[in-house]
Order: sequence, then structure tokens, then C-alpha cells
Amino acid sequence: MNKLRPSDFGSYWYEISKELSDVNMDSEMSVIPIRSNKSSTLYSVSLVGVGNYPLKGYLSIPNAKGPFPTIYFVPRNASVLEIIPQGTSNAIRDQFVIFSLACRGMRNSDNPHVSMYPGQLTENVDSVEDYIYREIVADTLRGLDFILTRPEIDKNSLLAQGNDIALLAAALHGAVTHVVATPGYFFDTIDIAKSTTSYPLEEFNDYLRLYPDSEDNVRETLSYFNLRWHAQSISANTLIICGDSENVYSKSNLTPLIDNINGKMTVKESENSAYKDGLFIQEWIADEIGDGVPVLPQHWK
Amino acid sequence: MNINKNYTCKVVKPEDFDLFWVDVLDDLSQVDLKPEIIHDDLRSTKDIDIYQVFFNSLNNIRISAWLATPVSKMSDKPIPVILQLPGYQNDPLIPKYWPLNGYASLSLNHRGKVRSRSEFDPGYPGVLTHNITDRNSYSYKGIYSDVWASIDLLSSNYFDLANVKIDSNRIGVAGSSQGGGLTIIAAAMRKEIKAASCGAPYLCGYMDAIQLTNTYPYQEINDYLNLYPAQLDDVTNTLAYFDGMNFADKITCPIIMNVGLQDNVCPPETAYAIFEKIISKNKKIYEYDGYGHDAGRHLHDQVTLDFFEYNLGK
Repeated sequence: MNKLRPSDFGSYWYEISKELSDVNMDSEMSVIPIRSNKSSTLYSVSLVGVGNYPLKGYLSIPNAKGPFPTIYFVPRNASVLEIIPQGTSNAIRDQFVIFSLACRGMRNSDNPHVSMYPGQLTENVDSVEDYIYREIVADTLRGLDFILTRPEIDKNSLLAQGNDIALLAAALHGAVTHVVATPGYFFDTIDIAKSTTSYPLEEFNDYLRLYPDSEDNVRETLSYFNLRWHAQSISANTLIICGDSENVYSKSNLTPLIDNINGKMTVKESENSAYKDGLFIQEWIADEIGDGVPVLPQHWK
Repeated sequence: MNINKNYTCKVVKPEDFDLFWVDVLDDLSQVDLKPEIIHDDLRSTKDIDIYQVFFNSLNNIRISAWLATPVSKMSDKPIPVILQLPGYQNDPLIPKYWPLNGYASLSLNHRGKVRSRSEFDPGYPGVLTHNITDRNSYSYKGIYSDVWASIDLLSSNYFDLANVKIDSNRIGVAGSSQGGGLTIIAAAMRKEIKAASCGAPYLCGYMDAIQLTNTYPYQEINDYLNLYPAQLDDVTNTLAYFDGMNFADKITCPIIMNVGLQDNVCPPETAYAIFEKIISKNKKIYEYDGYGHDAGRHLHDQVTLDFFEYNLGK
């Protein structure tokens, strides 16, 4: 771990925000009839990100009078852009505005750049300025800019959900009021990676095994993304799902992150059950930004 | 929610089911696999060799896969291999898990997946309903063929070219979700498969599943039928050729199945239904109450390893 936050940490992220603000969003929306129904309408969304890069997302809006609480499924370290995560009740679209965005390299946003999985996490990782996640974070912030243009949203209830990027979004964009995050790769990355052979962290091990001389550069790059240094900027109400005690991202390993987040904090130690963890998340969301009644798939009722 | 463990799916096997698939297999047998096996220095470790594998499948579509082998065991004696089949929309993993436990493994990126999508790419969502009213061009005709082609590859001597000695008499297959459904298809149609581990099977009881759940990916079919209700019969007819239920009576190898009773993606009722139809005398289902689509994997991994060690050795 780089023991200190980079001295130019603030200016690094300021520059990205400025770069983004200089690019016109040029948002466009078109209805997708096959994914729309009586209760909600799904739109394909086109945006422009830094470098004039074309981005795509899905926006689902309830067919009722808003404003509505909003869930932003931030870009993932995976190729597929989902409308809602697999296994989520489709009825969630009746109560919430849902936006999901494919960052550059993911399907739907893979022209001109196609990312590989595994591979995306280490694209240009030995360069602070060229690391793919610099622009992926910018894409994520662009998504928030877009959400804020929609009159249907309740700006007091804007939840970002996903992995590490959800926390970065909350740290770097003041619009995020709530976060649900399962950190997986941006907390003390290289040190944590050395204790596992599992992907996604294994991507970093693979990279440094082949390019050992790059370790200092890689550590420097990742220090700008280390959630340890972003935690204090997060004021949103936050739910963190951490691994069990044997997981590299256990609660104890994540303590410096958890303790430094300024928003109201909830920690859920994974029970290694998609059902138990998922139920906890849906109940938390319902309590925080919903009507108190979780929207559950049939087999969780 | 109480699960009906005696649930039976309503799918009816078409009269020409076997004939249809014989024709597909015949077409597949005409394909020259033209395999390439390339050592991947980036992903290999001191303990595990990783190879990028490419081969042709039905309609000469180029398919990719990851091959992982344990360095210490690659002597003259061939080792057993696990064919690892992918979930619906997740990206196939580099299967380092299996070499760490003494096996070689081939992880398939079937058509439409990352590294296999340049010639076929309906996208996600989309694959499940791509040409769903025509059995001859339905997406899963090609995807099932990719699974069988990968078994052809494993049971050939192609890997000898890369000095990878795989025992073609000890091929196992494993997967969960779509990987579980494809495990059913693999075990049913290829006698080279000597043991199968199937988790939370997808692609089994399609038309029941869309009524038992309102989650993606099965929701794709509901979306389709909401827009094209008049095509219900055509959809039902096509899917009958692809439903794992109709393959179950061909599975004779040892097989285990794990199911989460709170599975919100692949309804557990359909898992029980297909398990009942599997004719293998050596079959066992593991139920995990309190678990969802993970199907109790955290608890089940050791069961799977023990199963393969017993049936394939190491």
C-alpha cells in the first residue's frame, strides 16, 4: 500500500471533472418497446463522455406520476450491461427510476474501444494518466449528470449501487444520497491481491507477474483509486457488503474504509448466500429510499 | 415460500426431437475444428499453465475457450479434465480453480460471449429470444453445438500438439445456472462425459419458469411474448426442442445437482422437475435452504470436488 494519499490527489480528480464538464453530454433517448410494459417504460440512452466517447445506458421510468426514488446501477467490471441485475424483481421498475450505464469498453459502449474480461482492470494500469479507470470513473460521473437532467427523479433519493465504482461515484459527485457497494478491487489493491488467486484481483497478480518492473507505477496509479483515500469524501448513507471473515475483503480488512465514511454507515457481512445478502440489500433500500416494503422476487417472499 | 418439489413441467417432447438433433450433430460432425492452442504468458503462473484455445463450431463460427492445466501434473500420464460451462451473461472465468485441485479444465466462451462474438452477437438481453420462433436458427442451436464441439476437441488428440496430455476417457462437466443447463445438454448427448455436476439449472422448463419468476433472464421471454402475443405457439414449439427436460432421459452418467430453495433466477421447481426425469441411476440432488441462485456453492464446492475425485480420479 502507498502509505499516503497522493499529494495531487485532489487536482487529479478535479482535472477529470473539468475535462468532463467541457464535453457536451448530447443525451438522446429512445423507447425500447420490447422492454416496456404497462407499469414502466424503458429507454435506450446515448451520452457522450470524455474524449467525445459514445456511451449507452438503459433508463426505466415508472408509468406513474413522480418524482421517484432513483437507483443508478453504475458500470461494472463485466462485459454485459444489464437493465436491472439478474434476479432482481422486474417490479422494482414500477417504483423506482432505474438507470444503468455501460462504461467504455463494455457491450453497448464498445465502439470504438472493446475491453476484455479479464483484462479491463489492468488496461494501461502502469500509467496514472492513461489508466482506463480514469475514464471509466468519468463515464460513471457522466451518468449521474444525465440522471440529474431527468424531471422524474427525486433528488433526495438517488442511490448508486455496484462495486467499488459506486463508492467512487459517491465520493466524487455530490448528487449521490445513498450507496450500496460490494468492494472488490480498489481497496489496497496490490497488497490484498497478493493474498488471493481469485479474479478479479488475480488480474493484477497476472499483470505484475509478467511485468514485475511495473509494480511501482501500478501502485502509484491505483493509489488515486484507493477507496481508503476516497472514504472521507462520502457523505451518502452507505451500505457496504463485505466478505466473510475468510474473504480478502472481510470487514476487518475494510475497517479503514468503513470507519472513514462520513455518511450513515451500515455494514453487512456476507453470508455467502445470494438470497440472504440480497434480501438484506432490498430491505435496506426499501427503508432508505422506498416505501419501507422491499420489492422482492417471487422465491424470496 | 414453499417449493413444490413434485413439480412437473408442461413441456412436451416433439415427435421429431431426436431426428432434429441427429441432423444438427451430423452438421456439426462435418465441421473442421481447426483448433489453435496458444500459451498465455500473462495468465499463467508457476503452478498453472493457461492457454487460449480457438476452434470452429456449427456454421464455422469461431469459438474461444481457456484451457488451464496444473504444471506439476503434466508428465506423461494424461490427467482428467473438467469442461467448465458458463453462466448466461457473466464472462467465462479462466478456470484456475480446477488445476489447483488436480484437474485440467477447459472453460468455454460459446458464441455471443466475450472473445467469441465477432460473428454472432445478439447481445444481453437478447440471446434467449434470438430467432425464438425458428428452431433452425434459434440461438441455442449454435450454443449447444459449441458445447458439443468443445467435447469433440477434448476427446481428440489436438491438445497433444501443445504437449497437454488430457485423458479423453476422464472428461467431467460442470456449471451452474446456464452452465448447469448446458451441463445437462452435454451429459445427455455425449457419452464421453463420465461425470456431471449441475447447479441451479437454467434452460430447463422454460415455459414454466417464465410463470414462476419475474426476473431476468427468463423475463426476456415474457418481454417477447408481451410484444408478440400471437407468437406464443411458435415460441412454445421452438423451445420444446431446446428444453433440458427433453434431454434428461438421455443422461446415464453419474450426476449431482445443487439447488438453492430461494433461487430467484432459475426456479427451484424446475430443478426438481428435471432431476426427476434424469434416468441415470447414479444421481443425487443437494438442497440448500436459505440460498438463492448461488445454490449453496459456498457449501457445495467440496461436494463437487469429492464427486469428481470419486468418478474421475485425479
